[in-house]
This record gives sequence, structure tokens and C-alpha cells, in this order.
Amino acid sequence: MTTRLFYDLAGLALFAVVIVLGVPALMGFDAFELNTFARYLALAIVALALALSWGGAGLLNLGQAATFGMGSYAMAMHLKLKASGDALPDFMGWNNVSELPLIWVPFHSLAFTLIAGLLVPAFIGGLIAIFMFRARIAGVFVAIITLAFLVAFQLVVIEQQGITGGQNGLTGLAPLELPGWSVDTYSLSFYYLAAGCLMLAITLGLYITHSKFGLILRAIREDADRTRFFGYNVANYQTAIFCISAALAGWAGMLYTLVLEFASPTYMSVSFSLAIVIWCAVGGRDSVLAAAVGAILVNLLEGKLSDIYVEGWNLMLGVTFVLVVMFMPRGLHGLLGDLTNLFRRGAGKRRGNRSAPTQTAKTGQEL
Amino acid sequence: MSHLQVTDLRVDFGGLRAVDGLTFGVKKGEILCLLGPNGAGKSTTLDLICGKTQPTGGSVRFEDVEISRMFEFERARRGVGRKFQVPSVYKELTVAENLAVAQSRKPGIWHALTRLSHSGRDRFEPILEKVGLEKRADVVAGNLSHGETQWLEIAMLIAQDSRLILMDEPTAGMTIQETARTAEIFRTLSKSHTLIVVEHDMSFVRTVADRIIVMNRGALLAEGSITEIEANEDVKTAYLGH
Ligand SMILES: Nc1ncnc2c1ncn2[C@@H]1O[C@H](COP(=O)(O)OP(=O)(O)O)[C@@H](O)[C@H]1O
Ligand SMILES: [Mg+2]
Repeated sequence: MTTRLFYDLAGLALFAVVIVLGVPALMGFDAFELNTFARYLALAIVALALALSWGGAGLLNLGQAATFGMGSYAMAMHLKLKASGDALPDFMGWNNVSELPLIWVPFHSLAFTLIAGLLVPAFIGGLIAIFMFRARIAGVFVAIITLAFLVAFQLVVIEQQGITGGQNGLTGLAPLELPGWSVDTYSLSFYYLAAGCLMLAITLGLYITHSKFGLILRAIREDADRTRFFGYNVANYQTAIFCISAALAGWAGMLYTLVLEFASPTYMSVSFSLAIVIWCAVGGRDSVLAAAVGAILVNLLEGKLSDIYVEGWNLMLGVTFVLVVMFMPRGLHGLLGDLTNLFRRGAGKRRGNRSAPTQTAKTGQEL
Repeated sequence: MSHLQVTDLRVDFGGLRAVDGLTFGVKKGEILCLLGPNGAGKSTTLDLICGKTQPTGGSVRFEDVEISRMFEFERARRGVGRKFQVPSVYKELTVAENLAVAQSRKPGIWHALTRLSHSGRDRFEPILEKVGLEKRADVVAGNLSHGETQWLEIAMLIAQDSRLILMDEPTAGMTIQETARTAEIFRTLSKSHTLIVVEHDMSFVRTVADRIIVMNRGALLAEGSITEIEANEDVKTAYLGH
């Protein structure tokens, strides 16, 4: 086992203890607080999805909110159909739609909904990725193209009122019915459902990071051309991580709809996409775990502060982002790494004064 | 029969014809040294063979397959490996990780997704020993010295295990001892690999070359053994005239 893998697993274990035991205890098992926290957990999944492509492969996807929105709407469509029973969803009537649109029909099935919530984002994300990466587009152009897609996609969703509910989104949803469990989103068990999803997503992310696939992506991030000369089809690798990242974002979106009990086109806004980038940057984009922690911390802070400083919150968030980019480019995770190194070097020096200097050199290397 | 056959290869950069009707072949297991004054088109020739540059005309056949229109990663998969003139290791990856990337027999996504990044590490041990980096496996490549970086690159070529290896000035900046060690490694490599080496160091060329071709202004100037080349009047003029 490599040192990196050891640290990541230890971090995951610590994180799991905090989320599974610490948080519910701290919240006094209060259903309302737990629901709020479950929202952060869903957002943590979309942040780690971005970390996979941005930190892991150097591809800044500013369209992450679009794939998040697709998952969110997939779940909302299912729950809206459930709430409407045999009738047409209410907003369709208001928009003079007289028959259930074809695209809605399969969402009666929960299994289809869950699969579509993962695969539709993956497919759309993959489609954009194929065109971009076959043409060897890289760097800031990836950010521009994905951003343009997001803006266009949100416009279409708002435009197509009869199908999407337009500006209002999809509201008045039924609770989710799982086999033998009618999900109450204000409950400890729902909190654990969200926590379980996040843990699974982090584990998946860590596996990808530590697989040879993750290694090749890091190689591509550093020098895509060189990696081609080793025989790797760089475009395919980049497309694959875009698909995986989009599927995870869709998953987060589905969970988010469950927590908030509605889906809104604001989930597909530029500002939401930028917020995901900020969470990722604050936590540390190089690590899926750090990105998840970043999302939770920033949202926790927002929850506490935006009540007090309603107007100033966005400004504070913006300033935080600028400061992070300038002084902490690797986020809290990078800061932690730097501090450990500093501490170890200090300790090594002190030890070095007493014992043989070769000992010092060795400790230094094992970091 | 040639392992690699280049025929009437041409490339234009704007108005400049950097490679102009070049024809030569390399036999399997041979070490061919490519000489010529600066700007003769040696690096460009290697670029054309490995796919970094697309030719304007002519053909490159490797193991009897035309490869001159393929993507670079397809040529690499067929067994063409390249060392560039400027050292190009992955500075953010460790030595072992660099080798894991280079070890690319199965470059597909599925294979990569079902392996951990450090799998196959024991296979790197003998390679690292060969280049003297066995104690540095977990060092980040950006922290290696200049010499170590060059050894790592050679180790990566060995790990990649291409049947045809293209080397651009592999001994530039090396000490005499390091150059001798490199020559020795190349002689061992040539038992199972074909090598094309661009090199200025004549004593190195004398030790490793089975055959030499000399380029000037993008075209073939002379071809033969080291003694033939050293006696060649055209070669003398080309070098002195520069
Ligand atoms: N990408 C390029 N664009 C324009 N000119 C180039 C390019 N690459 C090489 N050249 C020119 O082609 C000629 C041959 O260069 P090169 O192959 O690097 O020579 P050598 O390696 O023999 O010193 C030089 O005149 C060089 O300036
Ligand atoms: Mg050159």
C-alpha cells in the first residue's frame, strides 16, 4: 500500500465517523437540522464529481450544474407523476398541454428514473466531451465551452414550460416510495441514506484516483502530448472521466431533489456552477474527499452566515474564493499537506541534531 | 527486409522544406545513428516517424504497415517509442508512477480502470537497477537531478518496450561515465529492439552504431559504416561549411 493510499483511507475513515456518528449527535438528532445537513451531503457529491475532472484530469467543467440539474429533474419528474396520480401534472394544464409528453412516460418507473438520472447526464456529458477532446481542445477553452453549454441548456429548460415547468420548476412532489420504505426526508434514516450515498461516491472517487486510470489522467493533466506517445488515446480517457463525473453529478441532483422536495432551473444556473468550483477550490481539488469536505464547510458557513448577512454573503463568498486562489491554490487539503511537511521537517531537524543526519534524509524522503 | 522503411519523405513548414525526399531503411535489431549539422532535419525526421508531425508527402512503413497517416497514439501502440530532445518526464509523478505510465502494453481504459496505479511495481525493479534509480522509486520526478531525470527517461523507454525506439540526443549533458553506461544499455537493448539515435558525440556513435546516415538540409548526404562516413568528403564539407 502506498503512503498516499494510506492517508486517503485514514481520511475516509475519520470522515465517516464524523458524518455517521458526530454530526447526528451534534445536531441532537433534530430532524430539521439533519435535513439541512443532508442537503450539504448531496452538494458534497457534486463537488467531488468536479474534483475528479478538474483536479484529477485538469479539465475545468463549468457545466457541472447542467448534469446536476438533469439528475434533479429526473427524480422530480418521477415524484411529480406520483403526486399527480392518474391526472396530468398540474402545470401542464396551465400550459395547455393536454397529453403527457412522451419523454415523461417512462418516469413512472422508479428503476428507469434512477438509471436515467445517472445515464442521461453521463451520455450528454460524454457527447460534449467527445467533440471537445477529439478536437484536442484543452485548458480554458474547456471551461468556456462547458459554460456556454450550461447557459444554453438552462435557457431551453426555462423555455420548454409545458414539459419542464419553466421558471417555476417542478413543485408539489410526492415523497419517494422505496420498496418497504416511504422516505420521510425529515428523519434520521433519510440522513443516513444521504450519508451512505456520499460515502459510496467518495469510495468510488478514491478508487478512480488510485487506479491506473486515475494515474493516466494525472499524466494527461501534466503533459497530454507525451501521454499520447505512450499509446494512450487521450480523448477517450478525458471523455470517460467526463462521463463518470456527470453521472455522479446526476446522482447528487437526484438526492438534492429529494431533500428540497422540488426541482428548479436555478440548479442549472451559472452561479450554482461557480459555487461548485468554489467548494472544490476551498477543500482542495486534488482530492475527492477534500472537495466533499470543502462543499460541506462552505455550505455550513453559508447556512450560519447568510441569515445574518443576507446581502453580503455572495460578496464574502467571492472574496473567499479570490483569497483561496491567491494564497491557498491547493485548498485546505494542500494547506494541511504543507503544514504536515513543515512540522515533520521541523521534527526531523530537531531529531537530526541528536542522531545521525542520514536518518533525517530518510524521513524526508518517505513523506 | 527493413523493420522500418522511409521512402521519399517530405515536409514543408511554410516555405521551408525541412525534410526533402528522404529515403532510408533500418533492419530489425539494428542501431542506426542519424548525424548531420544543426537544422539538418534530424529531429523533424523522428517527428515524422512517430507522428508528432504530419508529412507533406512520402511513406513511412513499419513492420510492413503504412503508418504515416496514423495518429501518434496508434503508432505508439504498434511499437514506435520516442525520446524527445528536451527531457520530458512527468514532474508531478513519482519515479515508479512515471514507469507505470510508460508501461503501456495495454493502453485501454478498461484495463486501466481495473488496475491499481502501483500494480506491476516489482517488474520495475530490474529496470530501475539498470539505470541506478532503485532507491529513488518513490521520489517525485520533479525533485530528481538533471542526470537522474535522463536516466528515468531511458528507464521509461525500457518499460515501454517499443520494438522501434527513436532517440533524440540521449547523451546530451551526460558525463563520460554516464555516456559509457548509456552506450552499454543501448547495446543490450538492440538485442530485442531496433534503434534510431540522433547523436553528436562521435565516440558514443563509434561504440553503438551498426550503421550511420548523415543528413544535410533535409536530404540524405551519406550512408555507411563509421569509417566510410569519416572518410567521406561531402560530410566533411557539410560540417565545415556550417
Ligand atoms: N514546427 C516547426 N515549424 C517551423 N520550422 C520548423 C519546425 N520544426 C523544425 N523546423 C525547422 O526545420 C529545420 C530542421 O529542424 P530540426 O529537425 O530540429 O533539425 P536538427 O534536429 O537536425 O537540428 C530547421 O530549420 C528548423 O528551424
Ligand atoms: Mg534536433
